[in-house]
Amino acid sequence: MREYNIVITGVGGQGILTAANLLGWAALRAGYKVRVGEVHGMSQRFGSVIAYVRFGEDVYGAMVPEGKADVVLSFEPVEALRYINYLKKGGLVFTNARPIPPVQVSMGLATYPTLEEMRKIIEEDFGGKFMAFDAEELALKAGNIVTTNVVLIGALTQTPGFPLSAEHVREVIKVSVPPKTIEVNMKAFDLGVEAAKEMLGL
Amino acid sequence: MAKVTEVVLWDRPGERVLLLGNHAIARGALEGNIAVFAAYPGTPSSELTDTMAAVAKKAGVYMEYSTNEKVAFETALAAAWSGVRAMTAMKHVGLNVAMDSFMTASYMGVDGGLIVMVADDPSMWSSQNEQDTRAIAKNTGVPVLEPSSVQEAKDMVKYAFEVSEKYGQMVILRTTTRSSHMRGDVVLGELPEEIKNAKRKFGNFKKNPERYVDIPAFQRKKHPWLLETIEKFREEFNESPFNWIEGDENAKVGIIAPGLSYAYVKEALAWLGVENVKLLKLGTPYPVPYGLLEKFFDGLERVLIVEELEPVVEEQVKVWAYDKGLRIPIHGKDIVPRVYEMTTRRAVETVAKFLGLETPINFEEIDRKYEKVSKIVPPRPPSLCPACPHRNTFYAIRRAASPRAIFPSDIGCYTLGVLPPLKTVDTTIAMGGSIGMAHGLDVALNGVPGEEERKTGKEKKIIVATIGDSTFFHTGLPALANAIYNRSNVVIVVLDNLVTAMTGDQPNPGTGDTPHGPGKRILIEEVAKAMGADFVKVVDPYDIKATERAIKEALAVEGVSVVVSRQPCALYRIGQMRRKGEKWPIYHVIEDKCTGCKICINAYGCPAIYWDAETKKAKIDPTMCWGCGGCAQVCPFDAFEPMEEGE
Repeated sequence: MREYNIVITGVGGQGILTAANLLGWAALRAGYKVRVGEVHGMSQRFGSVIAYVRFGEDVYGAMVPEGKADVVLSFEPVEALRYINYLKKGGLVFTNARPIPPVQVSMGLATYPTLEEMRKIIEEDFGGKFMAFDAEELALKAGNIVTTNVVLIGALTQTPGFPLSAEHVREVIKVSVPPKTIEVNMKAFDLGVEAAKEMLGL
Repeated sequence: MAKVTEVVLWDRPGERVLLLGNHAIARGALEGNIAVFAAYPGTPSSELTDTMAAVAKKAGVYMEYSTNEKVAFETALAAAWSGVRAMTAMKHVGLNVAMDSFMTASYMGVDGGLIVMVADDPSMWSSQNEQDTRAIAKNTGVPVLEPSSVQEAKDMVKYAFEVSEKYGQMVILRTTTRSSHMRGDVVLGELPEEIKNAKRKFGNFKKNPERYVDIPAFQRKKHPWLLETIEKFREEFNESPFNWIEGDENAKVGIIAPGLSYAYVKEALAWLGVENVKLLKLGTPYPVPYGLLEKFFDGLERVLIVEELEPVVEEQVKVWAYDKGLRIPIHGKDIVPRVYEMTTRRAVETVAKFLGLETPINFEEIDRKYEKVSKIVPPRPPSLCPACPHRNTFYAIRRAASPRAIFPSDIGCYTLGVLPPLKTVDTTIAMGGSIGMAHGLDVALNGVPGEEERKTGKEKKIIVATIGDSTFFHTGLPALANAIYNRSNVVIVVLDNLVTAMTGDQPNPGTGDTPHGPGKRILIEEVAKAMGADFVKVVDPYDIKATERAIKEALAVEGVSVVVSRQPCALYRIGQMRRKGEKWPIYHVIEDKCTGCKICINAYGCPAIYWDAETKKAKIDPTMCWGCGGCAQVCPFDAFEPMEEGE
């Protein structure tokens, strides 16, 4: 496999960099060349965040170019739309469905688009597939809201053509998280897998 | 995934791991048997500094968080002059702070290897300009290494120590935000015995005033040495393992790509499916080795130089080509953008243009479709955290001084106070600049005691400056001395959150902690008093009314007033509470009491508070509330109350 490109988006503080790092290690452990791109500093203070995970036999730069992401994995719906120019035609968007309204929206200076508006643009203009589900609710069901990123990673592994096996990614998460949290994380992962299977009709 | 602070100490040569560029450099420093590391944190260099702090004791390395880049540079230079290997790290603008010592030190050389790691920030992801350190190095005559991958970032450190010692000159290791903050696979090398056994290496300073004293008579003899030495590096770099020629050796067209641009060009060529190109990969953008240029240019009819920011390599290549009498087209900044960072797309577009090809996908079409998206996506700039004490201080300042007052501010998280609704930042320029600007504004607008035309009473413009604790120690001190000495009439509010927050919670003199145990804590209010400030008061910004009162008192005083607004960084505090399993109150909106006046949103602006368009009331996202209770203090209708506990 020459290269596989994942774009991860969301709001600073949601655990985006941890998710990117977990996926990077999973790809490394599967023997691939890996590049993970991230931005630190100011962008982590509740601003919009993007991270890139690329792996394969032939990867160089850390950033996924526009139009080349196989998947956009988003922790917040409008953040998926913000970076939709990275998605390739026929690519997949998995997003947590729960919005975090930006301060400007609360102040009445901007509006927040509906999920249907987002779906229309992503599917009609960018030729992508849009799948929104309440990953936070599943994380709570697993036992802790901070496992939202693991729910999303679980869902990601079900993407058609995803080069890493769900079992392998699950194992890497298992050895990476603090021992006390293995059970919740594994539950979160499995709930993400189930949700994706349902959405994709697998 | 494994803990970085463990991975960088792993004694497992040959193992493949995933490391951030900055972490890889820390590992490289250990593999290179570093003795002393000193730095002031600055994004995008900070993870290197923090990793060195975390492993210092276990590796027998002396590590300190210095108060600024100049002091850090001098600390490392003194170690190198004592014959041990040393390193300092900074962001690009940090080099400006260290420049006075850096420039002169270039004449004087080193004994132990000295690496100045400088992280540039093309595209200004977290900086105020995009100056190119390679251009500064060229102006100074100090060689530069620049990695094209995380593996090289690690490997270059040991090499840099070796060539630094071979020629007795410091070396710059230049990264960018992208190379510092990208993770990549790295094969670990050997750790020296001293590092493995945590054996501290001490130096030996041999007096030699002609070398170590920079009076003109001594320095005049050293300038020629500087120029001779850089030519020796140029020669050496012909054989550097980080420079090579690859691709089609019979090609008529060639591309030169320094640093990370090499990665983008490789990707572009693969994506475009182009093979008949010769490629010169450069890990030493300054000085460009002429021997390699000679080999590379052989048979070429056209050349493109793909580099980020300034035409540093381009100018060297063109000068060399002109002197050689070569008259083939050499393209660079005529088609490669000079602003913002290099990307794969930019490399693809540039290379395609150079070769007369179509891009593999239609980027303009994507841009056109995205125009519609950019119109409907609400902006989400970074904001001060929930429970951030700075928000409360800014809110109190606006109430005490009126929004018409002028607010010079400084470099830190609190620069975000420029955004609505707080808007309590009118100027920022550089670290420590707030106090100098406040004084300058007072001089320009009001005049000082002793001047007859001085403005007083209602004519006088109110000036309230804000500066963080770490910034205060960094470069605020001389500016405060200046304002007091020259009889300014300003209020300086020190936003003391007891940590260097924006760069990742590093300690500073105000906290008193060091990587080697307790240091000596310096209290900002004691410094202000000792310097002769006319009014000094410490307040807790979680008590907004008390903070407002203190600033009003300060405004009533003639002279320089210093208000220290002290409360730990909320992000740092919550992180610690989470680790200890402690709980904090979570506030909720009592719907019956909320009148929908929006003061909490339009004047206070905590990101945990949002507007519910259906009920027309404020609401709190319980996952984001960190329990400072500021909302309860700003709400005129007592609609906020703590309801449960978070963890």
